[in-house]
Amino acid sequence: MHTFPHNKGVSTLFITLLILLTLFLAGCASTEVIEEDIAEVDVATETDPFEDFNRSMFGFNESLDTYLAEPISDAYLWVTPQFVQTGIANFFNNLKDVNVVLNDMMQGKLMQGVGDTGRFTVNSTIGLLGLFDVATEIGLEKHEEDFAQTLAVWGVPAGPYLVLPILGPSTSRGVPGAVFDTAANPASYIGLPIQVLQMLNARANAEGGLNFINEAALDPYVFTRESFLQYRKHLITDGESEITDDLLDLEDEFYDEDELSDEFETLDTNELPAEVSPVTIKGIDEQVVEKTGFQLELSSETKDFEQASDSLDGAVQSLDEATTSFEEAGDKIIQMENQ
Amino acid sequence: MLKNIRLFAGFFIIFLGINNSFAAAVNEIDVKQEPVKLLGAKEIVLTFQNELLNVMKKGQQLGFQGRYKQLEAAIIKSHDLTKIARIVVGREWKKLSDEQKVKLTGVFSQLSISAYAHNFKEYSGESFEYLSEDKTARGGVIIHTVFVLPDDKDVKFDYMLKKKGDNWRIINIIANGVSDLALKRSEYTSVLKREGFDELIAKINEKIDNYAKH
Repeated sequence: MHTFPHNKGVSTLFITLLILLTLFLAGCASTEVIEEDIAEVDVATETDPFEDFNRSMFGFNESLDTYLAEPISDAYLWVTPQFVQTGIANFFNNLKDVNVVLNDMMQGKLMQGVGDTGRFTVNSTIGLLGLFDVATEIGLEKHEEDFAQTLAVWGVPAGPYLVLPILGPSTSRGVPGAVFDTAANPASYIGLPIQVLQMLNARANAEGGLNFINEAALDPYVFTRESFLQYRKHLITDGESEITDDLLDLEDEFYDEDELSDEFETLDTNELPAEVSPVTIKGIDEQVVEKTGFQLELSSETKDFEQASDSLDGAVQSLDEATTSFEEAGDKIIQMENQ
Repeated sequence: MLKNIRLFAGFFIIFLGINNSFAAAVNEIDVKQEPVKLLGAKEIVLTFQNELLNVMKKGQQLGFQGRYKQLEAAIIKSHDLTKIARIVVGREWKKLSDEQKVKLTGVFSQLSISAYAHNFKEYSGESFEYLSEDKTARGGVIIHTVFVLPDDKDVKFDYMLKKKGDNWRIINIIANGVSDLALKRSEYTSVLKREGFDELIAKINEKIDNYAKH
């Protein structure tokens, strides 16, 4: 560790540790285990197997936001004039473009990569270190690419939905994604005050979205999960190819639903006896819950803990898949170029 | 003989003439009825978007109640709210009593209209642009459009329509890949399973109140 200069700060050390951990774990994991796990995931097909754990993490993040991040962000928004806020947001967006270019290339989107390199060059020079987004004005569109998307393009499955402390919604594929994105963002190396500003900026920009969730969501946890997963899918497919397929799937599902409920409507009167039995079973369940409430509480805590370790396993597996994908990526890019 | 033929031909021509004009009359009725009775899926969407923009332009004068009234008419004309309410609760629908089904459809419609009245309250140069139309395997139609924002990236709005009787009706809106129906469905089924029907209705009513206040 002493080979790293001290002033590069905590984040460099953290990233290095994570990368070392990744390599170590990748070495440990055997391929047999991975195959089994994938089969299991296919059978379960649940996107959110760790819901209880995720919900408590969501609750933790929410209170952290309410009592810490939101007040600070409100103060920042109040103190800072609009043009300064825009400048700061542009500055960090410009630094992110470095990572966008890297991921353009890794996904084989060469033309887009050239355009995004142009964006970064124009904004860093004429745009005064990125404070002004000149590139958008001259028609170089901003793209959203990150390493989790690249992993998806390489064929790494999303894995289960995860809510990470502080960072929020993710999937197990998003964990190596976030590590790479942090490492590829120059802002991570500038120093602590800049990183604090980066967090302030991120929270301030999320203000509108978070307010919208509060207004619209009946269940903010589910609302956040669904919109996050759907939007990520949209980004991965660049909003083009799969949308009609998705709609087809949805429509099929709704059609089945239709048939089911139509069937039910005709059977309505005959079905009644069948409806009664689940209710009585539920009643018994509730009594059990009352009697053994304390034990259940305890077991739900251990369940949370198990879920936490399971979700870590999922993340580790994704890291492992990421490293194998790295090896295959070279071949794939060459293939894409040939096409 | 020749006279007879001429006479016959004359009759024939007259007959044909009558026949044609009769056919023309029938066609005219068809043509006149079609736009009134059977708007195409595309027209349903474009008309709705226009009315939405109109409400936005007059948004401040109208106030929440005014916007609600205008949008209510526009949404009922273009959406199949009953079907949406049913899809949104998924398999839980069949566990509801008839009374609960009516209650849910009612508050759900109110919430949908309130959300529009709340979110589209002012105009600053936005517009909709029609892109293309797709047919789906089950006889549905998808209308692809973009919502053009003057100072921001365009938002893709895809409308999924199905026929209700003879009329096309919107049953889903997908904004930048996020399906409104799928999102609501996850939420509503989750609340129903975790907290029950009464809590779902209470939560919907709370949202409606909030939309009306702010």
